[in-house]
Amino acid sequence: MIEFQQLTRTYGDFTAVHPLSLEIGNGEVFGFLGPNGAGKTTTIRMMMGILVPSGGRALINGLDCHSERALVQRHVGYLPDNPIYYDFLRGREILQFVAEMHGMERREAAQQARRMLTEFGLEEVVDEFAVNYSMGMKKKLGLACALIHDPAVLILDEPINGLDPRAAREVQDRLRQAAASGKTIFMSTHLLDMAEKVCTRVGIIHRGQLTATGTLDELRERVNQNVSLEDVFLRLTEERAAEEGAASS
Amino acid sequence: MTARSHTGAVPLWRSTSLLIRLRLRRLVNLFMAGSNKKSGDKKRTGNPGKRSSKVVLYLAWPLMLFSFGAITANSVMNLHAALDPPGSFWVTVEFSTALAIGIAFLLFVLWTATLLLTIGSGELAKSEWDLEWLVTLPVRSDTLLWARLAERSIVNPSGALALIPACVAIAWFSGLRWSAPIIGVLAAWPLLLLAALVRTLLDTGLRLRMSAAQLRNLHAIISVLSIITMYLAISIGLKGKSEFMLGIAASMPDWLLYTPMGLTVRAINERSFVDSLLLAMALVAEVAVILWVGVRVLRHQLRNGVVAGGARDAERKTASNTEAESAQTSWLALSAVHRRELALLRRDRNFLVQSLVLPLLIVGGQILLGTSGVASNMWTNPNVLASVAFGLAAYSLSMSAFQTLNSEGHALWLLYTFPCSIEEVLKDKAKLWGVLTLFYPLVLFAIGAFVAPDVGWNFLGAMMTALLGIPIYAFIAVALGVFGSNPLEQQPNQKVKPAYVYLYMSLSALYIYAIVTPQPVQRLIFMVLSMLLAAALWQKARDQLGYLLDPDASPPPRVSTSDGLIAAMLFFVAQAVAAVVIIGRGRATGAAVLFAFSIGGAVTYALMRFVYAKAKTEGVPTILGTDSQPLLGIVAGTLAGALGAAYLYGLNALDLLESATRASNSYTSLGLWTLPLALVAAPLFEEFIFRGLIFGGLRRSFGVWPAALASAALFAIVHPAFSIIPVFILGVCAAVVYERSRSLLAPMLAHATYNGIVIGAQTFLL
Repeated sequence: MIEFQQLTRTYGDFTAVHPLSLEIGNGEVFGFLGPNGAGKTTTIRMMMGILVPSGGRALINGLDCHSERALVQRHVGYLPDNPIYYDFLRGREILQFVAEMHGMERREAAQQARRMLTEFGLEEVVDEFAVNYSMGMKKKLGLACALIHDPAVLILDEPINGLDPRAAREVQDRLRQAAASGKTIFMSTHLLDMAEKVCTRVGIIHRGQLTATGTLDELRERVNQNVSLEDVFLRLTEERAAEEGAASS
Repeated sequence: MTARSHTGAVPLWRSTSLLIRLRLRRLVNLFMAGSNKKSGDKKRTGNPGKRSSKVVLYLAWPLMLFSFGAITANSVMNLHAALDPPGSFWVTVEFSTALAIGIAFLLFVLWTATLLLTIGSGELAKSEWDLEWLVTLPVRSDTLLWARLAERSIVNPSGALALIPACVAIAWFSGLRWSAPIIGVLAAWPLLLLAALVRTLLDTGLRLRMSAAQLRNLHAIISVLSIITMYLAISIGLKGKSEFMLGIAASMPDWLLYTPMGLTVRAINERSFVDSLLLAMALVAEVAVILWVGVRVLRHQLRNGVVAGGARDAERKTASNTEAESAQTSWLALSAVHRRELALLRRDRNFLVQSLVLPLLIVGGQILLGTSGVASNMWTNPNVLASVAFGLAAYSLSMSAFQTLNSEGHALWLLYTFPCSIEEVLKDKAKLWGVLTLFYPLVLFAIGAFVAPDVGWNFLGAMMTALLGIPIYAFIAVALGVFGSNPLEQQPNQKVKPAYVYLYMSLSALYIYAIVTPQPVQRLIFMVLSMLLAAALWQKARDQLGYLLDPDASPPPRVSTSDGLIAAMLFFVAQAVAAVVIIGRGRATGAAVLFAFSIGGAVTYALMRFVYAKAKTEGVPTILGTDSQPLLGIVAGTLAGALGAAYLYGLNALDLLESATRASNSYTSLGLWTLPLALVAAPLFEEFIFRGLIFGGLRRSFGVWPAALASAALFAIVHPAFSIIPVFILGVCAAVVYERSRSLLAPMLAHATYNGIVIGAQTFLL
């Protein structure tokens, strides 16, 4: 379903994402973990055709995410880490616009938008301008935008970052639901608790390099201890840093 | 223990100087933005910096100061002529009471204009309010308010620009010479302090009461008012435009002399040092009292703390209301993008004013205040009317269609989530603005048709040229806007790259030529050129779209229509230069023409190939391909040639051929040198440019036939007028042949065959 083939991204001399190869199968919930600045958002933006790979490619459903972006987007829903909306448009209108851009008829789009807003508990604010929403509401609206065309793949950048506990729980439940209905989910996060609860498989990216992938159990085995994901994460990213320190000295 | 910890607060002078330094630093940063970006800085998701505009800005300042001074000087002269008794000498030393009142009025208008300008300059439209942050610093609120006033009186570029030159001019007329600039700056400062006070009172009061959306709309209205006031202020200094304001100046009451503006004028003008000092002290006392009262009012305003009003706002509408609203427009076949854009236009007054009201005000102001006589000519001369109409629409487009990406702003990411190309969205917007901006021109033409002395072919021709140009320029504006905008930039004045706006403006000015030219053929040529230009720019922009949000990736180089247009231009220029060098003052012999043509062609060919090779461009046309199909070329050439010969025969039968060929430089005038020119050089170079680059470039974006017709049209219009029709046919044939053979040999043979047949026919007929 999702495939990276030597996906690379450089900014001048700085390599943000080292050649990255990875396959994510149908129905997987893949957690892309890493500290701040590890290259998670860069990778996701390459999947969305927002950034252009410096080398290699990202494929979704066998289609190239850069050159065949419009075709790819038919099957993809996306939530950025900080969704920003148009000024002077209400939540309902934005959602309807997104639905129409996905090819729905106007009436159908309006109905679908209303249904989604109710489902996401945003009925109270449908007639408010979306720029005035709180972070939690913005993320929920973003998730509604990502789900409105019932995509097979969800790409989520830090879906619960900055949400209060209740909103975070709601979004997590929503994601589990989506996973249960067979969607493939690729999400980046640095919140390990969330990854532990939702993901079927995780990959740890550190300084642009994929240091480990596997189920949580496999990763625990790798560090030979029955510990929390946090410890695994710290160990793996620490080892890397130490290795790099040794290499450079 | 330091002195600071005794009071627990930062003292006034210190906080004032800190605030001023902060403001100045911000101005400098704004000014220098882009010049110190590192290429590898990955935080910058915008576009590369804009260094090119800096020089212009540096030059602009002294120039603007000087022209403002000159306008004030003219205003004073006009006031003198209107208010002082006729025949009185120009007294540079002492103003009459009437003149002093008049000049005080002038200062008042200037002061109001700059006040509105600073309020309208965008601060109100921003959602964040820096006072909310400043009150968290350990500064007493009184200190903070005074510091803010002082800071705003010093860091106020537009106020300084208008009031300092004005005060310098008044000092100059009062007989001061070298001290005039110093006196001018000193005299302007109290007025700037008052401007700072009123501005602070207004924005504090408004921010406490109004929501962000309301503020943005109010901001729009103020920016309109500021333009109008500015025009009124400037009109006092213009010959023949000043009656209105001079009339008001004459009716001003005496007490104006006791206001700060009046006291400023009198203090500068007073000859006796002691009296002047007394007046200055009166002025200072008056300003001090006003400021003190103002600060009390400010404190009262802020008694409940600094909290911007309506943090959560929205015009709450009932669902049924909005249903009705969305049902209203359903009879129009509007796309989702159109409807969204119209909703934004309806709600965002700022956008509405920027895109549709300001252009009208500014173009209207230019016409009314200008000295070119456009205002009086436009109703009698349809070309002038059409130029004004087109100019207005083109200006509107620069504020709307050009800003397509900027109006998406930070919400641009949404476009990347849709299963359609971004080009489709931009096309939708170009269409919308191409239609919306027809409004003013249509109104102008409707009035024109009503009042014009005669509405004939001239009127219709000019009108159609202008109206057809508008959609073309809507596409050009959107395409250039792709390169000329920084949608992710925070500062409003950094969102547009000035170079591209200038480019757009000068291209629009070029089209004005198409409107005013008396010859229909030239009009046609300009329209064809503009359309091709639009296609070429659009293609370039489309290539860019996948890379829009990428800070440093750029599209792989491919052969584009714009390359073809550049090559065609280069070809003509190189040819002309070579001709001048070779022929000099001598006679244009056949050999010289052949050499000039060949050198021009060879230079162009070599240069394009070199650039392509260097950039590793894809799709460079080659002469020989895997399947060159030379026979097809000869057949197509024979067909086009036969049609050409028949056309010549027809012209000859109507006795038009001789005069037509004499009027233009036809091949036959060059003797035997014609043959290598027409059979080798012309096919070789022209096919590379017109088929290889232009048709090939167009073919990337269009189907075979539109591309063939457009490239043939350009090919035809660069040929002598009498041969436009047969050359157009040749152009289409050659394009089709190139499409089939994928190499240049076949169209070159077609071109050579055609030339051979036509030259034969011409020799035979003449």
